[in-house]
Amino acid sequence: MVSRRYILRIGGGLLAGLLLPRLPLAAEAVEIRMQGNADGSHVWFDPVGLRVETGQTIRWINLDPGNSHTATAYHPKNFERPLRIPGGAEPWDSDYLLPNETFSITLAVEGVYDFYCVPHEHAGMVGRIIVGQPGRFPAADLSVQATGGEPIPEIALRAFPSVDEIMRQGVVRPA
Amino acid sequence: MRIVVATLAIAAAFAMPALAADQVEKAPPTGAYKKVSDLVKLPDFLPGLGQLYVDPKTLPAGPFLAYNRDGRLVSTVYMLPVEDLTNKDKRFDDLAAPGGKVNHVDVYFNAGHPGVEKPHAHVVLWHVPRADETRVAAK
Repeated sequence: MVSRRYILRIGGGLLAGLLLPRLPLAAEAVEIRMQGNADGSHVWFDPVGLRVETGQTIRWINLDPGNSHTATAYHPKNFERPLRIPGGAEPWDSDYLLPNETFSITLAVEGVYDFYCVPHEHAGMVGRIIVGQPGRFPAADLSVQATGGEPIPEIALRAFPSVDEIMRQGVVRPA
Repeated sequence: MRIVVATLAIAAAFAMPALAADQVEKAPPTGAYKKVSDLVKLPDFLPGLGQLYVDPKTLPAGPFLAYNRDGRLVSTVYMLPVEDLTNKDKRFDDLAAPGGKVNHVDVYFNAGHPGVEKPHAHVVLWHVPRADETRVAAK
């Protein structure tokens, strides 16, 4: 016989499931759009923060008709920039994407991945992807200067959403 | 015969200045100008600006020559990095202005793009009336 307590427990679990951010299934590529306004005065990644499961494919697409963009991991192999992806993870650099061009990678190592757009880092065009389960990452705020390489401009450091915000929301849209 | 030679010499003398100046009215301009989309990975036609040409030696300031879809010069653009504009020791002097008569001027911020990667100001000398700016608008 199904008890009322059991029903409440199941119902509570379902409710909790509805409240948690839905993580994309690994089979679906998650899209990050590269965008800009008409006169090129503002550029951004959308979403700017994203939480996914291990093995998730991420696809960047340039939807900005008047500009080129890159998705480039912070890593010494990319222009000697500071390391801001998990140790052992492969860095990536899309090179310049013209309008409607795309670039994809699959993230196999858990951790926090920070990336930027080469011509727009100084305009704060950066993003953050968290791969894996909640609670496995140190609570430290990663929006600080990492050692090595050309320092990250303050405007870019301020643009990263916090790990907590990404964990809480799953997807963080640009302000 | 002597008259013919003298006439040719005079004609050549008058022609020399015209030959020395770059032709910029129609795309492609002559001289050292190169198509920007051949120099860096940018769309060939930029909405709001048009098809751009620049002498690479003049980067980042330019002048960039901007043409509409009919290949007519519509504006001359200078791209001035914000960090240079706020540097009291930096000046932009004697920038070339080959485009002729200016109808009006726009100045606005740009976040950057290949070729001029840092935030900068676009100073746009329009050679056409404001109504004709639509000739370089997005389709």
